[in-house]
Amino acid sequence: MIKTILGGESYAARVWRKTRNGVGVEVGLAWIGLLVFAAVFAPFLANSMPLLMSKDGIISAPVLHYLSIEDAWVLTTFFIALLVYRIKLKAGQRVALFLLSAIIAAVLVNVYVNPPKLVIYDDFRSAAYTEVDWRIMPPIPYAPTDYLRDLVSKGLEAPFETTGHLHLMGTEENGADVLSRMIHACRIALSIGLIASGIALFIGVIVGGLMGYFSGIADMLGMRLVEIFEDIPTLFLLLTFVAFFGRSLYMMMVIIGITGWSGYARYVRTEFLKLRKQDYVQAAVASGLPLSSILFRHMLPNGIAPLLVAVSFGIAGAILSEATLSFLGLGVVDAPSWGQMLDQAVKSSSFNWWMAVFPGGAIFMTVFAYNLIGEAFRDAIDPKLSDDSGTE
Amino acid sequence: MSQSLLEVRNLRTYLKAGARQVKAVDDISFNIPKAETFCLVGESGSGKSVSALSVIRLLPEGVATHPSGEIIFNDQDLLKLDDAGIRAVRGSQIAMIFQEPMTSLNPVLSIGEQITEALYAHRPDISDSEAEQRTIKALEQVQIAHAIRRFHDYPHQLSGGQRQRVMIAMALACEPQLLIADEPTTALDVTVQAEILRLMRQIQDDTGMSMLFITHDFGVVAQMAQWVGVMQQGQLVESGSCASVLHKPQHAYTQQLLAALPENLVKPKLHAAFEQKSPATPLLSIRDLKVWFPINKGLLRRTVDYVRAVDQVSLDIFPGQIVALVGESGCGKTTLGRAVLQLEPPTSGSIKFRDQELIGLSARTLRPLRQKMQIAFQDPQSSLNPRLLIETTLTEPMKVHGIGDSHEQRIELASELLESVQLNRDFLWRYPHEFSGGQRQRIGLARALALNPEFIVCDEITSALDVSVQAEILQLLLSLRQQRQLTLLFITHNIGVVEYLSDQTVVMYQGKIVEQGDTAQVCQQPQHPYTQKLLAAVPRLKIIL
Repeated sequence: MIKTILGGESYAARVWRKTRNGVGVEVGLAWIGLLVFAAVFAPFLANSMPLLMSKDGIISAPVLHYLSIEDAWVLTTFFIALLVYRIKLKAGQRVALFLLSAIIAAVLVNVYVNPPKLVIYDDFRSAAYTEVDWRIMPPIPYAPTDYLRDLVSKGLEAPFETTGHLHLMGTEENGADVLSRMIHACRIALSIGLIASGIALFIGVIVGGLMGYFSGIADMLGMRLVEIFEDIPTLFLLLTFVAFFGRSLYMMMVIIGITGWSGYARYVRTEFLKLRKQDYVQAAVASGLPLSSILFRHMLPNGIAPLLVAVSFGIAGAILSEATLSFLGLGVVDAPSWGQMLDQAVKSSSFNWWMAVFPGGAIFMTVFAYNLIGEAFRDAIDPKLSDDSGTE
Repeated sequence: MSQSLLEVRNLRTYLKAGARQVKAVDDISFNIPKAETFCLVGESGSGKSVSALSVIRLLPEGVATHPSGEIIFNDQDLLKLDDAGIRAVRGSQIAMIFQEPMTSLNPVLSIGEQITEALYAHRPDISDSEAEQRTIKALEQVQIAHAIRRFHDYPHQLSGGQRQRVMIAMALACEPQLLIADEPTTALDVTVQAEILRLMRQIQDDTGMSMLFITHDFGVVAQMAQWVGVMQQGQLVESGSCASVLHKPQHAYTQQLLAALPENLVKPKLHAAFEQKSPATPLLSIRDLKVWFPINKGLLRRTVDYVRAVDQVSLDIFPGQIVALVGESGCGKTTLGRAVLQLEPPTSGSIKFRDQELIGLSARTLRPLRQKMQIAFQDPQSSLNPRLLIETTLTEPMKVHGIGDSHEQRIELASELLESVQLNRDFLWRYPHEFSGGQRQRIGLARALALNPEFIVCDEITSALDVSVQAEILQLLLSLRQQRQLTLLFITHNIGVVEYLSDQTVVMYQGKIVEQGDTAQVCQQPQHPYTQKLLAAVPRLKIIL
């Protein structure tokens, strides 16, 4: 019985164990983990207002009071994800439960969280917030859009340049703290990669799966569709849309997603063409199982591994697309993003190294991390490199 | 015994697999006399190939070690030679041919170039014209017709049997003293196998070379060997002259292997009484069935011709019978089996299951009928979904067809199924990769049985298995047929299995049925020339122990 339990390692667990075999992938995962942490807890890591303070015996938490709807939703979704991870469920049920709770959380947050419309950061350095019994400030006591008008006179300060208030990565031309902006920009970097790739994956799996399974005429039409979408230059489409409809992060995600699915569709098609003649798929057909079960239970899990490798590279690509667009000055205006910060660095009259090195390095590290994970994953699913085969 | 050419003494070969060490060859000793053949026989994983590879030191260094042993060839110990020394022996004095003729030739070089290359490698001083002469001579020796014209042919222009001949020609070009043949005919059809074996014996008579012949097939052993060694788990459990080992086996394992040959299996008695009642109405009736695959060419993919995989086949299968469908590779037997189950759309014709026409039914109307007709497959590696628990594989079809009221009840039914194919109940909670080939085939059968079908197509289900496992599966099939009133269409190329198992035999050749009738009649008095040729080619070893 013990052998039964030990021997019952599922394919997913086996691949995950092999993926973790290596230093590169640990570095990649650590970096992505750091980004996730920064993205989720950004308002608590870098903000101008105290986390907790006591004034006249009344304890209050200004950060929570000023928490935006987006901040609240990201936080609740993160804790839902942790909770779902701890509950023992099947993979499909987990995903469904997570998505459902995330949607419910979004609705609830919209109803119940009402932050003040106007935030004047200078106020937090006035007597009302400083002359208190005690207060706990965030590790970086500057908000990303706090231009420190009362503190800095000239903007653009190199790291450690001024005494009195510390800027680990300096300030940008408007006087805002660069490190704070870097932390808050993690959210865009992560979400654009995941959501754009998610959209592309969804369309790609469905179109590719139908092409591969039905082959023949469906395959021919599908391939023509794939070729049409492959001919659309994503960047120029994005530029056109920005010109017509203005700037929006969500629009960028959708456009990167719906122009990026063709590669995934090709992968799924090839896998399905190969799998449909496999004996176990034929046995499923011979048993009269419904099409959805044949496609999604018997074929997709066996063909998804090469796709996930492609996805990890796709995420890196989407992050680069956003950075490119922001660098061209066509990205999101209100929220900070790494590409936009690079743009600032280039546009300012003198070269300020701290404006270029930190966001550039972060983009490099993130793309590098996803590529490392993709590489490790590809090696893990390759049976020829399997450590169980006995050859070295 | 005449003078030995090769003498292997106390050879051990250990292979490193990760952190483990596997004793692949464990203390074996044998002699090969000049101009005679020594056969190593055993089941898969018994270490026979590793023994042969050890002899010419083709195992990767670092993985394989030899803790003890001597391999004396022409008075020198091959294990003590350095790299240059072994290379001088390899190819020129000891040559080797492999199992898979489809992949052992380089597809971008002509066969003539490949043989002359081997010559140049071992005789650098040979002249171009002499190399060509010797190549043509070698090709003639392996009876390739019009050798001069075939010199510039590429491997894809040759059939499997011809490629194996070219491989032998390549091995013979340097006139080796010892030829190591690792399952050289396993991938070939029996009629081709018979020709290749005859050819190898003839070449041995002409040239006086010795052979180390590896096989799992006792029928082949009986035809080829003067000396036999039986291997089990890396050890040579019995060796001696061919006649003494095959007819008076001493070791229990040898006896067990010989008894497991389908021609030696004892048919159960009940079976005879069972086949007497043959009702008049067929369970399955096939009329003029055609499955043609179009060959498309050109820019517009116009259909220029068809591959007639199944051509005008008519066949009746009566309830409770086991019908064997026999034929060589590419004759359309698998396509016919799949077309019956509507897994391959037929081009035209009619398939009636209990008077219900199957061709042209929609997926929805076909679904209730699918429950009554199931299939089991050849390849144990690909017949089970690697991502699903055995439990899911077995209960999912039951759920779709409404068998069992609750999940618990279906699990109970699935455990009973596993027991009926002689497996442990706990195996439900495992994944396919944890099982051996024989166990997977049993699970494949259990899946076919899950829906309580009346009819099962068994597509070469024992071909990838060792003889002892094959014997168990065949016995299991007979008892299941008895218990569940099953009708089977058993597709195979193995005549021994046909004789043991089936009531009716159907012989297919190039998409058409050339002969059909009672198994005893077809096998003992074949009418069609092809059937006669097929039966004559089968290497048999009928032994009464």
